[in-house]
Order: sequence, then structure tokens, then C-alpha cells
Amino acid sequence: MPAFVLLLTAITAANGEATVNFDNHVIPVLTKAGCNTGACHGAAVGRGGFRLSLYGGDPAFDYRSIVLELEGRRVNLAHPDESLIVLKSTESIDHGGGYILENDGPGAARLIDWIRQGALRVAEKRLEQFQVTPQLHVAEGVGATLQLKATARFSDGSAVDVTRWTVFKPEDASAVEVHPDNAVAKLLRRGRHIVVARYLDHVVPLELVVPLSDTTVDFSKEPRANFVDRHVLDLLSTLRVPVSPSSDEATFLRRVTLDLTGRLPSTEIQNKYLESSKSTANKRRELVDSLLNSDEFIEYWTLQLARLLRIRSQPQDTQGALSYHRWVTKQLTDRVPYDQMAREMITALGDTHEVGPANFHRTAAGPREQAEFTSELFMGNRLRCANCHNHPLDRWTQDDYHGLSAIFSKLTSGRVIEVNARGEVMHPRTGKAAVARIPGERFLDDDSDGRQALATWLTDRNNPYFAKAIVNRLWKAMMGRGLVEPTDDLRATNPATHPALLADLAEDFVEHRYDLRHTLRRIALSAAYERTATPLPKNRGDDRYYSHAMIRPLEPEVLADAIADVTGISDEYGNQPIGTRAVSLFDPQIDSEALDILGRCSRVDSCEMVAGAAGGLTVKLHMFNGPLLNGKISNSKGRLARLVADGKTPAEIVDEFYRRALGRPLAKREREFWNRQFHQASTSTAERELLEDFVWSLLTCREFVTNH
Amino acid sequence: MKSLARFTERCDGINRRDLLRVGGLTALGFGMADLFRLQRMATAESLPAANSPKAKSCILIWLDGGPSHLETFDLKPDAPAEVRGPLGSTATKIPGVRISECLPRTATILDKLAIIRSMTSPLGEHNFGTHYMMTGYKPTPVLEYPTVGAVLAHRRTQAGVLPPNIAVPNFSVGGGRLTGGGYLPLETRPFSVGGDPAKPNFQVRDLDFYKGLDLKRLDRRRQFVNALNEFDRNADKLAKTNSDPDLQRAYRLIASPKAKSAFNLSDEPGKTRQRYGRKSIGQCCLLARRLVERGVSFVTVNNKGWDTHDNLYTRLKEGYTGAPKPGVGLIPSLDLALSALITDLGDRGMLDETLIVVMGEFGRTPKLNTAAGRDHWPRVFSAVLAGGGVPGGQVVGSSDSVGEGPRDRPVTPADLTATIYSLLGIDPKLELHTSDGRPVRVAPYESEVVKELVG
Repeated sequence: MPAFVLLLTAITAANGEATVNFDNHVIPVLTKAGCNTGACHGAAVGRGGFRLSLYGGDPAFDYRSIVLELEGRRVNLAHPDESLIVLKSTESIDHGGGYILENDGPGAARLIDWIRQGALRVAEKRLEQFQVTPQLHVAEGVGATLQLKATARFSDGSAVDVTRWTVFKPEDASAVEVHPDNAVAKLLRRGRHIVVARYLDHVVPLELVVPLSDTTVDFSKEPRANFVDRHVLDLLSTLRVPVSPSSDEATFLRRVTLDLTGRLPSTEIQNKYLESSKSTANKRRELVDSLLNSDEFIEYWTLQLARLLRIRSQPQDTQGALSYHRWVTKQLTDRVPYDQMAREMITALGDTHEVGPANFHRTAAGPREQAEFTSELFMGNRLRCANCHNHPLDRWTQDDYHGLSAIFSKLTSGRVIEVNARGEVMHPRTGKAAVARIPGERFLDDDSDGRQALATWLTDRNNPYFAKAIVNRLWKAMMGRGLVEPTDDLRATNPATHPALLADLAEDFVEHRYDLRHTLRRIALSAAYERTATPLPKNRGDDRYYSHAMIRPLEPEVLADAIADVTGISDEYGNQPIGTRAVSLFDPQIDSEALDILGRCSRVDSCEMVAGAAGGLTVKLHMFNGPLLNGKISNSKGRLARLVADGKTPAEIVDEFYRRALGRPLAKREREFWNRQFHQASTSTAERELLEDFVWSLLTCREFVTNH
Repeated sequence: MKSLARFTERCDGINRRDLLRVGGLTALGFGMADLFRLQRMATAESLPAANSPKAKSCILIWLDGGPSHLETFDLKPDAPAEVRGPLGSTATKIPGVRISECLPRTATILDKLAIIRSMTSPLGEHNFGTHYMMTGYKPTPVLEYPTVGAVLAHRRTQAGVLPPNIAVPNFSVGGGRLTGGGYLPLETRPFSVGGDPAKPNFQVRDLDFYKGLDLKRLDRRRQFVNALNEFDRNADKLAKTNSDPDLQRAYRLIASPKAKSAFNLSDEPGKTRQRYGRKSIGQCCLLARRLVERGVSFVTVNNKGWDTHDNLYTRLKEGYTGAPKPGVGLIPSLDLALSALITDLGDRGMLDETLIVVMGEFGRTPKLNTAAGRDHWPRVFSAVLAGGGVPGGQVVGSSDSVGEGPRDRPVTPADLTATIYSLLGIDPKLELHTSDGRPVRVAPYESEVVKELVG
């Protein structure tokens, strides 16, 4: 106990003042003790008739609650230590929340001092900066401890040690322990761990690392194609995780073709690429460029953007989705910079059947939902928390949330999007119409064009969110995991695995005129992207530092197309023309049992974490007994039937299917295996059945249903 | 100083998508020393060990959306009208205990049921509430926890080929973000039957051979896939097997006519089908009985529609406006299904070995809203247990006079989960391991078994 008293004395001494300030001293006590959390009095309806703002975000409100409500019984100026707020928190009288503050502890002492001084709320100094040290610490091993230190800088220039009143919350409580009284952190597990520190309305993350091995790694000979590799190798070096080697040509060709065009490489391209005598680096660069310039790229990335934009038909109205989808395709074809696309969507008006981007305003159910969607899409931020209360882990306030909603409320809903000057949304705290606002920035004048202001602000080159939100998603599409996950939850308290890499990617994207292809190319040509998916014993557990490539299930649409391409029989999608590719469908509601079973995203909600296809008992039952594979493999017009009719031998057929499905020739032991099988087939029927079973297994095996 | 853990809460901004960020962040399969350390920490806990449990299997009747406690098992007939709501109460087999007028059949067998009226949770959002109720853990961004069904599937070596963890008609619960398996292997996730057993053409998809194929062919195909997965250069050489567990399970299920017949509800006498009620919940409960009879460890009956923000009366009682009495709404349908299930299991001598749990993600607001509905309310709500050795005819805990908070004996979802594990013979202290080797208890440290319920 004496330590706390000393610390408290130190604070007052440092300030040269003895007064306890409500905003700066009392609220931290309540936050530290957990009084104002969502589970307690910080809930939107409070607890037991006593309500506080969440994590003390609104000190004026809290002051009213504590001092003015309940006829002042919560504070007792005559007998400060008999104030309800003291009696309850120390459980001197019955308290639903139990024993929160020690009777003789520093928290209770602060409360009593404050009441003794008159329970005033004096506008004093504002917290301007909150810093925690160390921000990054690499410990020598498990069991290591370190002292965390928190400093608050106030508007009067003073700096105060607020370590005692800072809440340190490890993201993973089994990895890091922070003692609530003295802020000594103890590292319990290897890895990179995040601790979030909270003081008043400021939250900052800190990063504590215990290397994953005791053996250092040497990356001096590792290739570095561009800044991507510098950042990736730096972190792996800190973590002491070795990297897998670069993948072979066939693997690279299949991987990058799938990533950029959603297709398997054709046998023609395979032959040309694999037989080219150019250097690996030149070959790969030329390949990536030709893929980025292909029509297939446009088709596949239209799907990627359509998912992100949640393009889908409205009830009894598919025309809007179609025009939206076509517009996206045209943007990609014309290489329209991404910032310009965003501006057009936000500012678009008109008949959604004619004006593709106007459908942006039909994405969500109302202005609030549209604000949430917009923040997730263009800022990679979740404003939705700030609907009912200020965001507890971010800077967003209710003013931001309802202010952004107000911008979208000035539009009509339905087929034709028009300006509706009288539209408004209610701010739940004031009960009045919310004032339009650029989130985190400024309120807008009544007569200004909110959408224009929003578009300008978002696509300003200094906007801190816009570029990061999209490059993080591009990174995920190529590498299998966002630098920040989830990709719509970028915030200081959810830091990127590689913060500097994310910043550099965003800057590079802006520098290159918001060109999606540019960033995809950067990533595709990095050494990190080229690595094989085969893990080493010392990096097999890595699922986020890119020491080896991640194995990713093919997306439902891509898998369906791949099956169609290999078997030579396309699937039927609603009343779309025969031969339509799944990746080109403009509406996820177009009938397709196959896509439903493979798990396509309905785009009603975000699709960003929809897993790939080919998992689960249901899918496997369908593979065995459904028409998805069976109907195509045995089809008399299919590839297998054609090859048999052409008189190809089983060995030739096996070779052809390996090339088409896996993008590589057979290895020796594979050839031996299949030779053995076909050797046993005595009749032509038996041979044909064996061939069908071979193709089926090829289309079901892990190597086919994943990108690796 | 007491633990502050129960006072720390996150904003409603996290969801299942966040939860996919499983524990790989840290250990990467190294650091065994930490593991042992944590194991030592764990042994310091003291919770009653499960002693010779009776329950072999569990049927969870999940009332998806959050059933109103004030209209089902915790009525407040003496409260003001805006709290009391539109439904009356009825006396039960237990003197002094009244439940909804829409649960008359359940009322007559209340001696077989235990009602918890003091369930309490801070989580009033569907996905969060579902995660907490079904796993015993509040959701966190670093780990998705497994449901009881998945843990059971993981621990039990189930005879037969039916999946150990089955959901009827599906496992789209509480907003649909929970996978069910948590950090456990994929194959522990609930198998969704896919169709609604109440529909006349109900069948489980893809159980019968595609034309021209037979079991011999399927077996060969499966073996080929295993061979190809072994050849795969990216195969994890350290893994014990590269065979695809879902593929093996699918094959075994297809290969067994006996197992497949479990789904054949038309084998049941018409009278039995009628008794359970012709609504989805009734036929799902009947299918659940057939499944546990055949050794399935855990069946989730997922009943939709309990998120009654408006028109409480119609939704809960009548079913549709002007429906003939006593109504075909959610509660009368639950009444038929639940009473039939308990009686049927009793008649078959299976009630003691089958635990039945009835719950949803939370309760509903004490006061009716302006749309004659009730909104989300997690601070107090009810859950019901029956069979599986649970002493029936008791009410555990109570809510205050308006059903706003627990009056006594608060029971958290963590406590309830620990209790369910105990009843099923799984020590709540049991530690399982995440894919990166981190030990995690099946029920949280702070959970306490509700002793009244474990007999």
C-alpha cells in the first residue's frame, strides 16, 4: 500500500497542486475500477439507476450523474466518506457490482479528497497527449517482466505520470499479464502481443514481443524485391523465424494467375511460360504485367469489387445491380483511379438503372446503415459502435456517427436517387436532427453539399484512412491475410502486424495515382509473395508473418469455374446464357445450387471474412453424390469423353488433367501410382470408370481446391 | 481485491469475423514451458468433479433471437400492464410455480423440468449473446471458443457413423456468425441437416448415390484423394495424417443405410409426429430424439423467430392474426414439442441419459415497447433444463418484481455451461488445446457449477 500513497503524492507534488480535478483525476479512478464499462454503469441504460458515460467519454454527463442526480446523495459534502459513491464502491453498503475500491486504497482516497474539496468540476487543463513507454519491447524470453509507464500531457504544458490510473488490457490475457497496481507486465508466451492502454478518452496500443526461437536468423542473402520485403524480413528477423524458399515456376504461375484472374493457367500459357528461357525475374515480371492487362483480370476484379461494394439485386429489381456491375467493369477497363471511383459513387445521383454508381446509395437499409457501410468500405473503420455511445476503442463519437448518417439522409431512397433537403436523422443524445459532419473533423454548414465534402475529404491525399483501407484489402487478396484483420477494423488499438509496411503501401498507392493494378503488381513481384507454401519445421506455425505462403481455399465462384474449365462442362446459373462463368455473375441471388453449397456470400452483409469453399461435411457429401462433379465428369460432351474418343491413352489423359487442374506435370511417384492403377483395368468399361474416379479425386484433393 | 474481470467489456463492434483471429498470433507451437506453467495454474482451481454422470447426450432447443422470459417461464402476473404483457399464466404441477398460459402441457410435467430464472449476462447483441450462451465464454478478438456440442464431439468416441454434433435444420444461430467448432478441429462443427423436417419432402441432401455410382467407386475415389493429399508437396510432413476428415466422414455416412435411416421421419407413426406438433420445432425435436437414440452426442434444434421486437402477442401466441385457439405461435409450438420430447424420452427410458436444454441468447426488456414487442435484455432471463439427471420440479434463482435483474442466485452463461458439462460427464476444468498449443479450459475459470442442478 505505501507505494501507492507515494505515487499519489508524487503526482500532486509534480503538479504543485493538491486539488483533485473531476475530469482528470476522478474519472480515471472510475475507469480503472471498471465502473464505466458497458457491463456496468457505462451501459446505455446504466445500472441500478446510475448511469455513466462509457469509459468516461462525457465528463459533463458523469458529473451530473454523480453530483446532481438523486438529490446529491451520491456525494455527501458534510461527510465525504459517507457519500454513496464511496460507500457503494467500497461495498460498505450493498452494491450490485460488489467490492470495487479498497477502503483505504488510493482510489477511494481520491474520491473522498475530491468531495472534501467541494465536489467541483473546474475547467482546468485538457488531456492533449497520452503516451505509453515502451511502445515496442522485445523481451529476451518467456517470464520476462518490464515496467510500463504512462504519461499524460495536458493543455497547460504539464506532463503527469498516470501509470497508476491507466488501464492496461492485454489482447490475449494468457500471453501477457499486467499487474493492475504497479503496471509491471509479465510475458507468458512467445510471440507478438498487443496491450491496449486507456487513460481518460485516449487509448494507445503497445507491442510486446518474445522471439519465437532462441536462434537468430540470417536474412542477409534473402532477395529483396522492393520495400515490401524489407518490412516483412525485418519483423521475421525480430521474431527469429526462418523463411521458406521461393516457389518453382509452375507453382508461381498457378498462384498468381488465380490471384489476378481467378482462373487456372491454361495449358497454352503453361507451355509458353515454363519453356521460356528468360531469367526468372524477367519472366515473372512479364507474366504479372500480362495478367494485369488481361480481360480476365477485369472480370475477376469486378467480382472482388462487387463483393466489397455488396452489389446485389433489390427485391423485384435486378437492373440496378446490373448497371452497377457494368460500371465497375468499365472503371477497371478504363483504369479509372480508385479515388475517382469513390468520388463518383459518393456523389452519384439519378436513376440507378442508368447510373451505375448511384446504386452505391442503395447498398444499405437507411442512412445510418449507409454510414456504417461507407465507413467500413472507404475508411476500414467501424463507426457502428458510435451509434449508441462514443467508440470505446477508437476516436469516433456519436456526433461522428450521426453526422455521417445525416449526410446520407439528404437523399431519397428507391430506384431514383435524388437530393432530399428535408431528410434528417435524429441524434439520440440530443433528440434533435443530427448535424452533418465529416467524421473526426468538422461539422458542415446547412447549405453545403455534404456528399461533395465527404468525397473530397476521403480522397484527399492526406486522408489517413482511405488508401490504407484499400491496400490492406489488396494485400489480403494476394497474401491470404490482411496486415490488419478484420480488414474493416483499422484503428490504433488494433494495430497492423506490419504498421510501417501498411503505411508505405498506402503512400505508394497514392503516389501512383490510386492505381489498383500498381499495388497488386508491387505485391505480386515481392519475394514475400513468391515464397513456397511448404513450411519449414521452424515456421510451420506462422499464420501472419509471411515466412511461407498461406494456403487459401479457392473462393466458391473460382472453384466452380475451375471445375467447369477442367471438366469442359460449364454450370448453369439461373437463366444466364450457357457458358457464363461464376465469377462474372452480377448478382449473388442468381440461382445456383453449386454456389450455395460451396458457400458464396450473399452480399447482404460484409463478405470480407467469408471463407473459401470446399470445407465441411455438407460440401463433401455433395462432391460424392451431387451433380457438381459427377454430372460433369461423366458428361458425354466433357473433356474426359473427348479425350477418350480421340484415342488418348490413360497415361496421356492423366497427364492432361494434371496440367489443367494442378498446373504441373506429374512427379515420378505420381506417375507410378497411376500406372499401377490403370494396369489393373481389364475392360474398357473398367478403364473408363477408373478414369472418372481419377478425375473426381483430382478435383477433390487439397492441391486443387486451394491456392498455394 | 476481487477480480475486475467481470467488469471489463468490449464495445459491440466485434463479431464473429474478428473472432477468426485465432490464437496463432502468439505461440506458433513453441513455448512448451508456458504451457506447463498455465497447466499448473489451472490445477489450483477447485470445482466439483463430475461424478458418474447420467447424461450421454444432449438436445439443445435453441430459441433463436432471444425468447421473452416474461412470456415463457418467468411471468409477472402482479406487475403493471406494460411489464406484465399480453399473456396470462397457468398453474403447474409444482405448487406455487406458474408459467405461461401458452405452455399448458409443459405445466403438467413441470416436475420433470428445472427452470433457472436468474440467468444474467452483460451481452445484449445476438452474436455475442449466442457465443456466450453456447460456449460459456464471452467473445474475445483472439480466440473463438467451441460450443458444448463441439467439445462433446471432440471428447467422445461415438459409436456409429452419424456425425456426433448435428444441427436441425441448420446451425445458423444468433446472427449466423458462430461456426460452432471454435478452436477445435473442423470436424467438431455441427453438421447441418439442411432441410426442415416439417416439410413433406424433407430429406438430407446428397446421402444417396449419384446415378451410375456405387459404394465401391466412392471408396476408390476416397482412397485416390488420400493418395493425392499424401503426394501434395505442401502436405504438412509433421502431421499424423493428411487424409481429409470431412471426406472420410461423408463416406462413412453414405456407406451406412442404417445411419441414413435415422433421418427418415416417415418411419415414425403418424400419431407420434402429430404429438410433437407439425411445426418445425416439433419435427426437429422428433428427429433429435431419433438421432440421440442412435448415439449422436449433441443435437441443436434451431428454432427461429424469437427476436420479438414487435407484435409479441401474434408472434408468440397466435402465430397469425385470427388463428384458432390455442394458437400456433412460437410458444404453443414449443409447448407441444418440449412436452412430447420429454414424455417420449421418458417412455423409452431415455430421459435420464438425455439432457434437454431450452434457451436463447438473452431475455427481453421488462417494459413493452411502442411496437407491442420487447427488445433485447440480457440482465435477467430464463433457461430450462430437463432429463440427464437434472432434479426436476425446481426453480433456481429468481428475478426481481419486474423481471429486470436477478433477485437472487445469479447464474451466468459460464455457470450454466459448466453445469451442462458436469451433467454430461465432462469436468468443467478440463483443458483442451488450441491449434498453437495453448491450453484453454472448457468452462471459464470464474464459472461455478449450479449445484442444485447436478443432483
